[in-house]
Amino acid sequence: MSKIANTVKPFARPLAVVGGVLLIVAALLPWVTFSLNSGNYPDRATLQYFDAPFGVTGFRWHILLLGVLVLIATFAPIPNKGRVIRSLGWGGLAVALINSVFIVAEGGGLGAITAADGSSAFGGVVGVVAGIAVILAGTGLGIEPPTKWKLTLSTPLAYLVLLVTFAAVLVAVSATLTAGGQGGPANPYAGGLFLSFLGFAAGLLTALNGVGLVGWISELSEKHRIFSVVVLLACALLLPFTGAGSEYWMTVAANIGIYAATAIGLNIVVGLAGLLDLGYVAFMGIGAVVAANLSGAAASKIGLDLPFPVAAVIAAIIAGIFGAIVGSPTLRVRGDYLAIVTLAFGEIFTRSAQNNIGGLTNGANAIPGVPPLDLFGKEFNQSLSIGSVQLPAGVLYYVLIVLLVAGVMAIFANLKFSRIGRAWIAIREDEDAARAMGIKTGKAKILAFLVGATLAGLAGAVFAHKNGTVSYESFKFLESVTLLAAVILGGMGSIPGAVLGASLLFVLPEKLREFSDYRLMIFGLALVLIMRFRPQGLVPDRHRRAELADEDVGGVPVDEVHEHDTKGAKA
Amino acid sequence: MRKHSVKSAAIVVGVLLVAGACGTNKTESGASGGACDTSKGTLIVGVIAPQSGGLSALGLGIKNSAQLAVDEANEKCTVKGYKLAVDTQDDEANPAKGAQAATKLSSDPNVVGVVGTLNSSVAQTVQPILSQKKIVQVSPANTNPTLTRGEAFATAPKRAFDTYFRVCATDELQGPFAANYLVGKAGKKKIAIITDGKTYGEGLAAEFAKQATAKGAQIVAQEKVGEKDTDFAGVIAKIAGSTPDALYYGGEYPQAAPLSKQMKSSGLNIPLMGGDGIYDDKYISLGGGDGDLATSVGAPTDKLDSAKAFVDAYAKKGYKDAYGAYGAFSYDAANSIIGGLATALNGGDWAESKREDLLKAVGAYSGSGATGSIKFDEFGDSTNKVLTVYQVTGGKWNSAETGEFTG
Amino acid sequence: MSTLLQQLANGVVQGALIALIALGYTMVYGIIQLINFAHGEVFMVGAYGGLATYTWLVPEAVKDVWYVSLPLVLLGGVAISVVVALLMERFAYRPLRNAPRLAPLITALGVSVFLQEFVRNFYPNATAALPFPGAFVQGQLSLGPIKISWTGVLLIFVSIILSLLLQTYINRSRMGRAMRATAQDPDTAKLMGVNPDRVIVLTFVLGAALAGVAGVLFGTYYTNINTDMGFQTGIFAFTAAVLGGVGSIRGAVVGAFIIGLVKTLAGQYMPGGTSYDYVWIFVVLILVLVFRPQGLFGEPERVRA
Repeated sequence: MSKIANTVKPFARPLAVVGGVLLIVAALLPWVTFSLNSGNYPDRATLQYFDAPFGVTGFRWHILLLGVLVLIATFAPIPNKGRVIRSLGWGGLAVALINSVFIVAEGGGLGAITAADGSSAFGGVVGVVAGIAVILAGTGLGIEPPTKWKLTLSTPLAYLVLLVTFAAVLVAVSATLTAGGQGGPANPYAGGLFLSFLGFAAGLLTALNGVGLVGWISELSEKHRIFSVVVLLACALLLPFTGAGSEYWMTVAANIGIYAATAIGLNIVVGLAGLLDLGYVAFMGIGAVVAANLSGAAASKIGLDLPFPVAAVIAAIIAGIFGAIVGSPTLRVRGDYLAIVTLAFGEIFTRSAQNNIGGLTNGANAIPGVPPLDLFGKEFNQSLSIGSVQLPAGVLYYVLIVLLVAGVMAIFANLKFSRIGRAWIAIREDEDAARAMGIKTGKAKILAFLVGATLAGLAGAVFAHKNGTVSYESFKFLESVTLLAAVILGGMGSIPGAVLGASLLFVLPEKLREFSDYRLMIFGLALVLIMRFRPQGLVPDRHRRAELADEDVGGVPVDEVHEHDTKGAKA
Repeated sequence: MRKHSVKSAAIVVGVLLVAGACGTNKTESGASGGACDTSKGTLIVGVIAPQSGGLSALGLGIKNSAQLAVDEANEKCTVKGYKLAVDTQDDEANPAKGAQAATKLSSDPNVVGVVGTLNSSVAQTVQPILSQKKIVQVSPANTNPTLTRGEAFATAPKRAFDTYFRVCATDELQGPFAANYLVGKAGKKKIAIITDGKTYGEGLAAEFAKQATAKGAQIVAQEKVGEKDTDFAGVIAKIAGSTPDALYYGGEYPQAAPLSKQMKSSGLNIPLMGGDGIYDDKYISLGGGDGDLATSVGAPTDKLDSAKAFVDAYAKKGYKDAYGAYGAFSYDAANSIIGGLATALNGGDWAESKREDLLKAVGAYSGSGATGSIKFDEFGDSTNKVLTVYQVTGGKWNSAETGEFTG
Repeated sequence: MSTLLQQLANGVVQGALIALIALGYTMVYGIIQLINFAHGEVFMVGAYGGLATYTWLVPEAVKDVWYVSLPLVLLGGVAISVVVALLMERFAYRPLRNAPRLAPLITALGVSVFLQEFVRNFYPNATAALPFPGAFVQGQLSLGPIKISWTGVLLIFVSIILSLLLQTYINRSRMGRAMRATAQDPDTAKLMGVNPDRVIVLTFVLGAALAGVAGVLFGTYYTNINTDMGFQTGIFAFTAAVLGGVGSIRGAVVGAFIIGLVKTLAGQYMPGGTSYDYVWIFVVLILVLVFRPQGLFGEPERVRA
């Protein structure tokens, strides 16, 4: 690292300028030499850009913006110049590389992005070169840890900043969900454009982090905690009014919410108490089965039709009881062995559900026809109009689930900072020491399982009504692994982490449906890479972060670990 | 670390630049091609089937066969003024994911109909979503009778969703037909049943058992194997204790073939019979032995020109995956949607409001497909009640009996 | 009675197969305390490697000559398994040697999913089950009422021989001593001049070689293979390793035979029959873990940080 940095150092600044200019040039060049067989590459990347040379849109606009920002960053007096420029460079490189790879794959060879049949289009190549140049320049300028701002604001001003920030987050989420448009035969390049947008957004975000803005804002929101939570909740509820407020995204978002709520429950067991659970989705399954049986669905054997809130509470309680039962071996079994007990339990659940145990699960036929929720005289699967605004169907589920997730998060946060939460963390760190300190470890561990399972059962009850069918196929081992991956990707023990992790694991496959053949393969690879490069997750828990850096990464000092991590995330 | 990533990136770029001899796949006419008028745009036939995971072999066959039907329609200009395209959505064999896939398709105004799903449990979540938007759905593979006739399908049938059709036979048809043959024709009186615990196999075996008992046979053993099991020695030894003279297997060929093989090599030399899930050449290559039986919907392929045409056309396209157990059904399902669309539009313009007309047109559709004549009854089930019993003789499936199931 | 004897024989054949895989689990866990979930996939890859060898490398003329083709296929399967295990160790596990214990476990899950899907996507026609040449050894052995196919006999024979050889190797050889030393106390072993990397690599190689043999023998015994086969068999094998006491060679073999027998006997005699045979295996596992957490032959759990 230092070798390259030293070589580049003397002319880092001119290199940054050259790179920035080249990025702008790349945005203004054509990218594809001919009309691809599945239709023109979007954003006028083919030669027809001459029709409107300055009508730069989409990914070309992103590249242009990054180029301009590189130039600004080079000359403006900003802190931590090297890191910011390097981040922007990674963004530019990602956008250029992703689009080029897609064009090459679609165009059947490098001719598509260089020269073919008398027409030439070097936008992609220039973009890649420019990206590399900017990265090198940034490295040469020196990388420091993200700057810490000492700026403090008066409360009203802080509220204003937070409001603006969260509004920006809302816009960004909506933009991410709609980036690349909805894939399909009419829009064959949606996947590539979406990835390109992600590259752009990640570059921009890490640059902001480098300047210190992200750290400052998160500190600010920490200080005005309640205000932030309220605004964030409001933002989540406003999502249906943005461009992402289609029926499709409401369905996806509702599913994400159900899994996020479950993942938060799992986070109690794994993230706080440190008990690895590989059969966790079974509790969600139990909740769903109970709710379905109490819903008056034609296939349910119990002829009861309880109102949803009652059924949901019963489902949660029964799942919680099973959680305590499954958790009871923890009194004697530790560590990896416990993981196997939970895995065994998960398998027993699927197998029993498949065999229609006690006539409750309807076996392979599943329990269909669970009625949609119906509260306050409104069926939840209908569309809704507020005043003159027509909201898509599924929006009520979305609202319900946002509230559910918010509630679960509140429970989690309260538990985490309570006496029992601290007991869990103590057990996670060193069980023997915790016991020596007088913590009743057995009770605490069973309680972790119980609370986690209860939350999963509650999510399962919503799941049953939302999907209308409860089948053992929805609760298999791979789902448990996915939930675990959500917790770990987000950051163990971290509250927003589980939500972020679940969102990524659900949004990515939705946006990249054209690669669905390779979905699981990429998922597996991603697990390996995350563990390799960012084991503490995307939003590491504060405590946890310190622990991982201090003890477990082989004695590397904190700063270097960060350094290492940000690289990994971007590579 | 940094050095590595920069260096390897440089190497990758370099290799790409050297290796790529600046080739392209540019075609002069573009992909739209053909002589048809496609000026009005593209209409979409959705496909919902597993494209990843353990059932992807069947799902990919469904996708390719629907694609074949759409390609042929485009060549023949079946739908005037429009180009047709397939939009395949992976349901991962998971009902929740199926619901998402259905919502995605249903939010596209150009989707005319959907071919799918593979799993009955996924169909249960897909049905209401498509039904809300009046999008016609034709399943190539769902065998659960409740999907068309409601929960009380046997006693008080009531159409569950008027947007849902299927071209495959329900369990109610295939199971009893098999029982008639096995008990009546082949004279087997002590029958063992093994199922794989999945919707298809369980339903089939239950209907088989009912009819077999009614015909005077005795079900001497009923066992279940896991969907990922490979060793059947235990279950074989168990049923061997009751000395059956035939085995009915409710499930698909990947388990049925080794089961048959292991059964015969353990000395229990009785025929295995199954449904269309085992009627596949793979069944024989994976170990299914002479004397084994299978039922399948429609007249035998070699006696049906339209079926032969499908097999040839599929081979000609050179798809990576075989059409599998449900390819022919998927082809027919897509054709019923396309045929219905041509009738409903009748040269006119597509609009979402046309979906009602399309539903009626599909309901009234009648054609000759790869699995025989395709027509739907008032519940959306296929009226094609012609079934064939096949038997493995000389390492090949040969038809043993073709007939209409009458009860 | 004859049914019981036959079921016992069936259980022994299954146990023999599971034992070959369980050994890999137990050795790796003994050395680096990692549940290598991907080991089942190493077994699966071995089967595909064997099939590839048979399809493309074994000359047409000797395909039916079992004493030529079977060793070649075994060699091919073992080679592929070993290569995959080495890559896995080098690129997935080694960088995490000092990470918190959850990290390598998740990695192992990831590797498992990846390998399964990789083979499914890139081995020709692997989306569905593929036929495996089973004609190496035909016919069956009849012992009174018991019938076992010769491939089953081969499986039992190979499994027992290999586990004895492994036991001897670990007890007698220099490298075996190094392995035991590392398992007991990695730091002291290092001070005594043992190279931990070499020991770990060797452990993975040995485990993978056994899994490769198991993969090929699985193929010849069942005459078809699929990409899912590693997961379920792997879970059984892992259960066997835990049952026997993770880290113990003898325990893994005994545990494997117990699992094989539990599955067939529970299918025969327990309520619910074969529908619940799988469940009984896990019930036994949970009971063992609760009442004897170190497994049948394991040492009481060491205190680990």
